[in-house]
Amino acid sequence: MAPLESLEKEYPLIDSNFQSFCASHGIFSVEDFLLHDLDALLSFTDNHSTSQTLKQGIDQLISIIDALHPPLLNGLQLLEDAQRNKHVLSTGCEGIDALLRGGLREGQLTELVGSSSSGKTQACLLSASTVVAKHKSSVIYLDTGNSFSPQRIAHFVGQSSGHIFGNQADHMLKKVLDRIICYSVFDVYHMFDVLHQLKINLRSEIVKSNQHVRLLIVDSISSLITPILGGSGPQGHALMISAGFLLKKLAHEHNIAVLVTNHVVGGDDGISKPAMGESWKSVPHVRILLSRDCGSNVCDISILKHPSMVCHLIRKFLYDVVYVS
Amino acid sequence: MNKKEIEKWIGGDESASEMLSRVSSMRPFLFPPPLHRVPLRVGNVVELVGPSPSAKTHILIHAAITSVLPKCYGGLDHLVLFLDLDCRFDIARFSQLLIHRITQHGTDSYDKTLYALCMARFLYVRCYDSFEFLHTLRTLHCRLEKEKEVHGVGVHLLMIDSIGAFHWMDRASMFLSQRENSKKKLFLQTMSEAVVQNIRKLLQVHPMLIIATKSVVFGNRYSTASNDVKVNMEEGCSKNVARNHQNFQYREYMPSVWQSFVTHRILVRSSDEHPVTTNYQNSSFYLLEWLLPRLSFPDKIVVKDAGVFVDS
Repeated sequence: MAPLESLEKEYPLIDSNFQSFCASHGIFSVEDFLLHDLDALLSFTDNHSTSQTLKQGIDQLISIIDALHPPLLNGLQLLEDAQRNKHVLSTGCEGIDALLRGGLREGQLTELVGSSSSGKTQACLLSASTVVAKHKSSVIYLDTGNSFSPQRIAHFVGQSSGHIFGNQADHMLKKVLDRIICYSVFDVYHMFDVLHQLKINLRSEIVKSNQHVRLLIVDSISSLITPILGGSGPQGHALMISAGFLLKKLAHEHNIAVLVTNHVVGGDDGISKPAMGESWKSVPHVRILLSRDCGSNVCDISILKHPSMVCHLIRKFLYDVVYVS
Repeated sequence: MNKKEIEKWIGGDESASEMLSRVSSMRPFLFPPPLHRVPLRVGNVVELVGPSPSAKTHILIHAAITSVLPKCYGGLDHLVLFLDLDCRFDIARFSQLLIHRITQHGTDSYDKTLYALCMARFLYVRCYDSFEFLHTLRTLHCRLEKEKEVHGVGVHLLMIDSIGAFHWMDRASMFLSQRENSKKKLFLQTMSEAVVQNIRKLLQVHPMLIIATKSVVFGNRYSTASNDVKVNMEEGCSKNVARNHQNFQYREYMPSVWQSFVTHRILVRSSDEHPVTTNYQNSSFYLLEWLLPRLSFPDKIVVKDAGVFVDS
């Protein structure tokens, strides 16, 4: 946020005298001001010769802060926003859709957890192609392991539009691929760059409705986060939690469904558990565990966490369309 | 003593009805289960501790619905403010549980005006970082006054979900690091002090009960994915390990200023007897235990589609 000097132009009350008064109390920016005890600050002004103008300056700063606060909504407004703007996007995978009552919800962060080759990337690719084809919108795909496969997308598109042949099919495929914007991201800082850029683009291009982004995929977020978690310092965890908040903010403000994948690590007694630890657990809205027995086409999907579903584990066996090739 | 003074003395400070409303708002009240063991009053700070997921937000929603419902529906008839720091609150779930609650008292076709009244009494703010949180607390006074005027009833319950949400970000924050005064204190401490101080000030003008959740961020080293909590930890790292009986330990990570601000503490964890891994009648089981004041018997609570219940 703003240093006090930058406010001087717009608000003449915050002059150099006021700034030096604030600086003597260690206040250089609006954040410092927020952290400071206001009553104590007001009582300090009494000792000054210009206490009246200083008090006015403080009032001015308070009113600036008041204008910036996050909105206070009531339940009706919240529900209206949810019903109007937060739709459910089909993932194209019947099993997941059935379990999630329709699919991924816009405004929410959904996490797919599973061991290697449990079908996480396939589910991501299928969701991407389904959302583009069904909902006529764009998808942002952050690929961290070079696993994005246009051939798979082509296959899924071909499958869903089985009755179209020749030129028309090519045309359709081209349209779908055009709308999946893929970024190769190999470290967490690059991901922050891409996400911040996306935030700026979304803010400025709200009117361009035909390119409306409705799904953001990070496959896999754990391969970006786990390398920075080691060591004794808090920086790695701080980056992880900030990434979570950034994704949730994007999801909520721009009505985007966010899908991230996470791998599993071995627990101490041999039972595998999702990576990224205890702190990450409180980040995603929905956690889905994918598991598959070696060599079988049966995929086991279960819900570990869901904001509106009570049962934390539902088991469903199904022949997943993902694996038919 | 002249006549005027005597008249003033006889006249009293407030009428009986004013006094009654003042006293009744300060009187301790009982929440329905699962928070029914200890009477709570405005000014209390209740901390709900537990790993994720342990139905903490569900318990909050349950208490919020109780608060917004009119007295004739067994409610407390006032406003609730929900500060969402985890940014995961699902209003659809709130609405669903509210409808469940209303229809218990009537027919299947629920009272739309009652529903709208209750929904409007639920106030919500979402914060993405500590400064937004502080911002919100600073500006809450005027906004609560406005809401009080609109609704005719005041906010008596403030919920924070969850208080430790920005812990890691604050711990790593370089925000005060260049300043001289920062060497004495960590940013995390400064921030907590400011938060507690702002809440204290707010409580002076708006007497409220505070319920804050806190998720366990330091996982237990010896835990597993499905059974996070039922572990015995070695004695080694007992310095700042809060201990409860023999089977559950979590690390306190909030700065001491917050810890001393808390007046009641409740621990929620998954139940061993009905592990959450079974799909038992579409419900999950947890244990709820009072740590402050210490009650020796844990309550078994069940979360179903219709809400949170105490399992007897």
